[in-house]
Amino acid sequence: MTELPARSAAAGKARIPVPELLMALGVAALGVLTLLGATTITVPLSANVVGPRVFPYAVGTALVGAGVAVVVALVHGRLGQPEGGEDLDLTARADWSTVGKILAGFVAHILLVDRLGWALAGALLFAVIAWALGASWWKATIIGVVLGLVIQAAFVSGLGVTLPAGLLDRVDLLNG
Amino acid sequence: MGDLGSLIDGFGTALQPISLLYALIGVTLGTAVGVLPGIGPAMTVALLLPVTYRLEPTGAFIMFAGIYYGGMYGGSTTSILLNTPGESASIITALEGNKMAKAGRGAAALTTAAIGSFVAGTIATVGLTLVAPTLADLAVRLGPQDYVALTVVALLTVSALLGSSVSRGLASLAIGLLCGLVGTDTLTGQQRFTLGLPVLADGIDVVTFAVGVFAVGEALWIASRIRHGPVQVMPVGGRWMSRADLSRSWRPWLRGSALGFPIGAMPAGGAEIPTFMSYALEKRLSRHKEEFGHGAIEGVAGPEAANNASAAGVLVPLLTLGLPTSATAAVLIAAFQGYGIRPGPLLFQNEGTLVWALIASLYIGNLFLLVLNLPLVGMWVKLLQIPRPYLYAGILLFAVLGGYSLNGISTDLWVLLAIGILGYAMRRFGYPIAPAVIGLILGPIAEEQLRRALAISQGNPAILITSPFAGTVYLLLAAAAVATVLLRRRSRRTGRAADAVDVPTPRGTVDDQVT
Repeated sequence: MTELPARSAAAGKARIPVPELLMALGVAALGVLTLLGATTITVPLSANVVGPRVFPYAVGTALVGAGVAVVVALVHGRLGQPEGGEDLDLTARADWSTVGKILAGFVAHILLVDRLGWALAGALLFAVIAWALGASWWKATIIGVVLGLVIQAAFVSGLGVTLPAGLLDRVDLLNG
Repeated sequence: MGDLGSLIDGFGTALQPISLLYALIGVTLGTAVGVLPGIGPAMTVALLLPVTYRLEPTGAFIMFAGIYYGGMYGGSTTSILLNTPGESASIITALEGNKMAKAGRGAAALTTAAIGSFVAGTIATVGLTLVAPTLADLAVRLGPQDYVALTVVALLTVSALLGSSVSRGLASLAIGLLCGLVGTDTLTGQQRFTLGLPVLADGIDVVTFAVGVFAVGEALWIASRIRHGPVQVMPVGGRWMSRADLSRSWRPWLRGSALGFPIGAMPAGGAEIPTFMSYALEKRLSRHKEEFGHGAIEGVAGPEAANNASAAGVLVPLLTLGLPTSATAAVLIAAFQGYGIRPGPLLFQNEGTLVWALIASLYIGNLFLLVLNLPLVGMWVKLLQIPRPYLYAGILLFAVLGGYSLNGISTDLWVLLAIGILGYAMRRFGYPIAPAVIGLILGPIAEEQLRRALAISQGNPAILITSPFAGTVYLLLAAAAVATVLLRRRSRRTGRAADAVDVPTPRGTVDDQVT
């Protein structure tokens, strides 16, 4: 309804950014998949008119409709406004190497959390992310280890939340 | 009236030493996390949920009340000192408050925001105390078709009317609704849209979704375009509050409360419209019009009061109808569900002790916040200066903590990561986040009520509009749509008038509140 006029003026009809278009088409495609998926839901004989399929049909239709509406908006040059913020530089290009490092750290954490224990896997996650964002690796590692141990001890011993102790399972404070 | 007795009982629970301790921990944690840049109230509540997992429900909800109010409060400090509104409802506070801080009147801006929040929070909590039980009594009589009408109102207004792009708001809502479909259908017991994955058989948890889309999505988004260099935090300068400041502030506090509570309490409410309305009103009534845009204290006092009053107002539909009208409220509902408690008309009957303790602790938490915050402002300033690499690494550390401890299985973290990537894409392409979170929690409620209504009518859809209540609701919805369009024009004009005098960049689009 109120896309920024400045941007819509700047972006002529000819240049539709491809990633943004793909996102909108992705929403519509998700809708198509939802509609197809809904046809495979079994409707029990006892069900009344509104069985388990009706709501999925409605949601699928809404996704297709909204996706198409965004495509139409894009064709008219009304681009989405990326979220701003104090820590953001929207004029910069996306820094995929930083994002890649963070994703890798996240995946490593998921794969290792049960083996290493939450504290150490958390320390790894913290260190990788802080380092990827520009902190020095040894400082990030020290802070990460301290945070991981303190948080696990506080949550396991203080709050009774269960977290895997992994390699450190002999430490009572970490092993609830 | 009988409610007074219940409230006194509530205070009896909330004033016990252990409850006071929970409330104190809640407001402190809520403020500390809420003050961190980029963290709005919804993320604050979602990230702090694990703290309460093992508490008994009353203690947990007393702590939640503190976290909720504390998070709201912390956000205003951030917007005054850092010019980063953590949510759209703080944009106005950032507008005038940051100008005041720049002009060396930061202390006065913080004080008027603090006392204004306290005054508004207390007035609105009184409003909640008076309105909620009555409304719950009425709500008991509502049929499923009436609930369908209410969910339609909540879903549409949240996604379409409050957004800056209707199509993207609806897309976000539909994505949330789809995620809400995933899992086992309660009526037929079969799995839908789980892709055959056992981890999805129980559905996508609201907490996982909120933490993923807010915390993980935000961290990825910031990481992709982080601004390097030092952080600019305004010094807290000047006198705390002079007599002149007070005499210019108290009327805006009251007017802001009067706008914020009723609008927040509507199923179509939210905090953003009342803050914009309050700003426009104060500007018109002020004798110091020339100061607006350069740091007018009325422009902090009024909107900040409206913001806090609407935060209490949002609890009215949440507690009496089970309808969340903000992303924060959606996370709170998830917290209730974690204890097997379903907010709604029966809440006051079935869980009376808990609800009244919760309401009583809102009063107490509010008082704590006032007492705690002004003297501790130096500490909050330090939090604002945390180097960004550590800040975002810490946010993600708490995100995986929340994701893991929910069920104690690491597979949930894959879901968290996937939702985080979705949150990144939504930020990148300007899709508002809140409608997805609200859709996720309202979708299953809407479907259940719809199917129940049509089971009663044996499939005749006329039941959906012929009930007097539902019919009225749809008529009001149409009227509200018209009114909102008019109001938006007005608030945009206010926004533009402010634009003319070098506005701070509002954080994201207006609809992307409560990140």
